Amino acid sequence: MTTLRNSTRIKTLFISALICLFTQSGKAYAGEENLVLLQSLKGNWQFSIGINEAWISPKFNDSEWETIKVPSPWENQGFNGYNGYAFYRKKITVPSLYKGRMLYLNMGYIDDVDEVYLNGHKIGSTGGFPPDYNTAYNAERIYYVPEQYINFDGSNLIAVKVYDSTQEGGIVSGEIGLYGGKASVNFDVNLQTTWKFQPGDDLRRKESDFDDSGWVEIFVPAKWEDQGYRDYDGYAWYRKSFIFPTNNENGKMVLLMGKIDDIDQVYINGTLVGSTGNFPSRPGAEVYTGQEFDAFRGYYIPDGLLKKNQKNVIAVRVLDTGGVGGIYEGPVGIITQTKYIEYWRKMKKSGN
Amino acid sequence: MKTKHYKFFAFVALILILGISAQAEDLRKIVSLSGNWKFSIGDDSKWANPLFDDSDWDQISVPGQWENQGYKDYNGYAWYRKSFKTGDLPANTTIFLQLGRIDDVDMVYLNGKELGGCGKFPPNYITAYNQTRKYTIPADFLKENDENVIAVRVYDSYLEGGIVEGPAGFYYDEDNDFLNLNLSGKWKFHTGDIKGWKSPDFNDQEWKTINVPSAWENEGYNDYDGYAWYRLKFNLPQNLTNGELYLSLGKIDDVDNVYLNGKFIGNVYDLKKDGEYRSYGWEYNARRLYKIREGLLNRNGENTIAIRVYDGQMQGGIYEGPIGIMSAENYRRYKNKYHTDRSFWDYMFDKFYRNDN
Repeated sequence: MTTLRNSTRIKTLFISALICLFTQSGKAYAGEENLVLLQSLKGNWQFSIGINEAWISPKFNDSEWETIKVPSPWENQGFNGYNGYAFYRKKITVPSLYKGRMLYLNMGYIDDVDEVYLNGHKIGSTGGFPPDYNTAYNAERIYYVPEQYINFDGSNLIAVKVYDSTQEGGIVSGEIGLYGGKASVNFDVNLQTTWKFQPGDDLRRKESDFDDSGWVEIFVPAKWEDQGYRDYDGYAWYRKSFIFPTNNENGKMVLLMGKIDDIDQVYINGTLVGSTGNFPSRPGAEVYTGQEFDAFRGYYIPDGLLKKNQKNVIAVRVLDTGGVGGIYEGPVGIITQTKYIEYWRKMKKSGN
Repeated sequence: MKTKHYKFFAFVALILILGISAQAEDLRKIVSLSGNWKFSIGDDSKWANPLFDDSDWDQISVPGQWENQGYKDYNGYAWYRKSFKTGDLPANTTIFLQLGRIDDVDMVYLNGKELGGCGKFPPNYITAYNQTRKYTIPADFLKENDENVIAVRVYDSYLEGGIVEGPAGFYYDEDNDFLNLNLSGKWKFHTGDIKGWKSPDFNDQEWKTINVPSAWENEGYNDYDGYAWYRLKFNLPQNLTNGELYLSLGKIDDVDNVYLNGKFIGNVYDLKKDGEYRSYGWEYNARRLYKIREGLLNRNGENTIAIRVYDGQMQGGIYEGPIGIMSAENYRRYKNKYHTDRSFWDYMFDKFYRNDN
């Protein structure tokens, strides 16, 4: 009897441990533990089947379009049996109250592939459109909204291009809305935008004059599995060039790289500025990774490395040893050390 | 049944031995540095300056990882600062700063002067999270009966960070009282192994200096394993010009060959008959006490000690005192103080357990 009771208790313990494990890892990847809903975007959207690049533009008049309820498969709203391209459009107002805050658009679960535009600027994409079709029906879409694309206190147009292969299609479920991060990071250089991306490994890619014009574009932060590299594990490089503004104080600067799965080396203008995890000393050597994927990266930039009012290049070497890969969670950008210290004091006060 | 008993004895002996090795040195606390420190993330060389105003800094408790004190998920640089007052400082002895375990890299400044550090800061980062921090305080670094400021620059790569485990404070080794001539302090040091280095005529001016006693990992030789030599020249004071004398070299990790004026005077395995060296694997824990043969010392002029050390793994070097010359009387007092350490159980453990391994 005692033995039986004990074994049941052990089982319960085991199951709760498992649940714990899953919720933890879910948290780490979703990147939304600090997000608060500012404005729900559930409800009526303008809708049309088909594809036309003009529909991305805020100038396009969609008053003739159908209205459709979001979230819900379009099969339930009069488009039963339709597979292929479709567009969703909605105008929203973003109050200037949200200026300086990290804003995210949660588009929920989209079946199968999407591309999201704000005022004509692409802010995110998940899955692969034909001919390189790749479904991402089970990925939650959370896209960072760069502040420079927002028309504060005015009208802002969200346009969502969707491709559905078979069965139900469209923005099918989720907590659709505009979200804000808890602690605001007031970047001096915001790097949450499109970067150049190339799988494979070559240390020459760290140099600022390396030619990356043939590389693909990818969003940062977002796991590469949602951006056309579904089962990719291994090496990859990210590159981004940016202008470092002169209006900066002369103090130390910090490069925030958020969270990277699994290990990374970060170069600015060809010089190593930070690293998390141990890269193998020679090709083919065994790689050991543990909790590196969950480490928040804040690399202090050596004085004099950033060229003021000129082009600078960040190159990030990433090695993913399995599962999710890439620069998957923000904040990503450059801030002064003074602001970084304030940021952590604020995080501490908010109970972090 | 017999095996069971044997295992039980071995276990009991193990516990006793662990208890004893914990109280190896007789360190006395002068100033405790546990408790609240000023704390800021970030990095700025100005923060080493004792005059820097840290009044608007955050507070943190030492020891303890910063992740548990509001800085969950923080990785990178951070500084700790603390002002403290000293009373009378013990004379003629070496004072140590202990900061326990720091995760991952540190550099310590005392009143604005660089004291020492472990590991390497980025870009060529090397962790030292497992190294116990113990730094020798040079004369004039610590102000007696006055305000002092300690500043610690820390870098954490990821996982837990900061001054994570104690003890934290200033200490001195009471066993230095057994020394008639204290030889701790700056010695000449060189990694590698060359036979000629034992000679009193060898010119070691180009060699680096190192604090003795101190693990060489605490002296900038991160992760160094292998051979290294220590050298020191000294003169005997007037009151030691006659009588039987002993050379105490504290504890050395792992194996030593000691030369005085070019002549071999002993190594750890010679200590077996005293019971100081017990069995294989005990080298690092044996108290080095070598009798100086009559006629070897130059009683009125210069003498040269040369010590060849081999460290197999982890911490290395002459890491614990007392270091110096003892009279026969002090030698006996010192031996007696520690002689009782070795109980019947230690004997059992060495005889039946250690040798089996």
